[in-house]
Amino acid sequence: MRHTFVFFILLLLSELSLTGARAADLHPPKQVTAGNGFSIATTGNGDATFYLVGPSDRAKQTVRLGNAIEVAADDVRTAGRYIATVCGSDGCASSAFYVVAAAPAQLSFLVHPSRVPVSAKDAISAVAFVFDKFHNLVLQPVKVDFNVAVKDAPAISRSLPTNNGVAWIRLNATRKGGPAQVVASIGSISEHRVVQQVASDACNLRIKATRKGNSVAVETETVRDCSGNPVPDGTVVTFTATDAKGKTTVDAPIKRGTARVQMRLTGGATISVASGVAMGNEVRIGGTP
Amino acid sequence: MISWVAFRRLGLVLFAVLLLARLGPNTAAWAADALPSVQLNADSISPRPIEELTGKNIARDYAYAWQTLAQALDQDRSELLDGYFTGFAKETLSRAVADQKKSGIRVHYIDHGHKVSALFYSPSGDAMQLRDTAQLEVQVLDGDKMVHQEQVALNYLVLMTPAADRWVVRLLETVPGF
Repeated sequence: MRHTFVFFILLLLSELSLTGARAADLHPPKQVTAGNGFSIATTGNGDATFYLVGPSDRAKQTVRLGNAIEVAADDVRTAGRYIATVCGSDGCASSAFYVVAAAPAQLSFLVHPSRVPVSAKDAISAVAFVFDKFHNLVLQPVKVDFNVAVKDAPAISRSLPTNNGVAWIRLNATRKGGPAQVVASIGSISEHRVVQQVASDACNLRIKATRKGNSVAVETETVRDCSGNPVPDGTVVTFTATDAKGKTTVDAPIKRGTARVQMRLTGGATISVASGVAMGNEVRIGGTP
Repeated sequence: MISWVAFRRLGLVLFAVLLLARLGPNTAAWAADALPSVQLNADSISPRPIEELTGKNIARDYAYAWQTLAQALDQDRSELLDGYFTGFAKETLSRAVADQKKSGIRVHYIDHGHKVSALFYSPSGDAMQLRDTAQLEVQVLDGDKMVHQEQVALNYLVLMTPAADRWVVRLLETVPGF
């Protein structure tokens, strides 16, 4: 009986001793928000070395097993997978957890092209990437507002949610030429880009011709596109004169809104004008008096 | 009496054993020098389709990016990241290299390949988003002591942008799942 009692006491002491020396283990949360400090619960006892390895961080500290390990906010600013390891006298134990992006704080905004003809459909491509303040891509869907605005013209706006941190859209150019502000915004966060909206192809070309001796001066009215925007200087206008000798063609660039040429014509002639695919009016001019 | 063939075989075996013994401690460094396999699937990419040559270049450059990442971590040389990383990805990984230099805690990747899906290709062709399931062996070392080792499939969200003659990784973020 006495021996049995001693045996059980020894068994109990042995069990207690085993419990006291149980393997170190740690239990981080499954997911943490970037830039937020937190605690990792540990089991075991005695001193141990704690390692934290993340996408951009490597940290090491001595900890007391059984106590919670405090992880500083600065150690978990980068989103991604972290490995927490604790090494005690009886070996190492590890556990992984994820740090996810914090709230949206900045936009990376790509807009193309830098110049676009007015009224062009789906001509402007805008792509917005949403990041938190630590430059982590925000993967939670967020609504991004896109807006194209030109002075004294109605703006074009659309909203879209992000998918995997990205929202993109094709926008129509407005009808008015000039610098267009293309804006992506999430609440108070916004990014601006400028797209130069230039006049489209010439439309309703009109010319007038004046004879001066053996030559005829031909000049366009101000060349405009179909929305009334002046076509940029440098755009080539083609003048064609047909007379008894045949056809004469002269190209001239637009300068200060109009294009003009001097054509040597003695007899009567028909003069026409074109720019790109747009045809203008024809004028008939009589022969030298 | 040992024949010449048997003697030669014995010599080859001995050479192989010596070679393996030499490589043993440096397996990670040896692995870091190999170009990892990258299989790219662009079936569900939008809004712009991917050109065949672009697809090949993306797979090639992403493989080089992982190779240089493993080398940079192995050799504590952040300048190795310059070739295939830019922007936030380069900043993050350069910080990791600097931190491991300072702390002595190092990470070795032994890369067993990447299955990459192309998700998004911007209409103007200036950004591509990928998701990658990478089969990796991750080792964490404190000096020469290995404190953690695991074989793991990790999910990465990747953003690549074109540079002068290659595609470079602008963002490389591990995510819990897709």
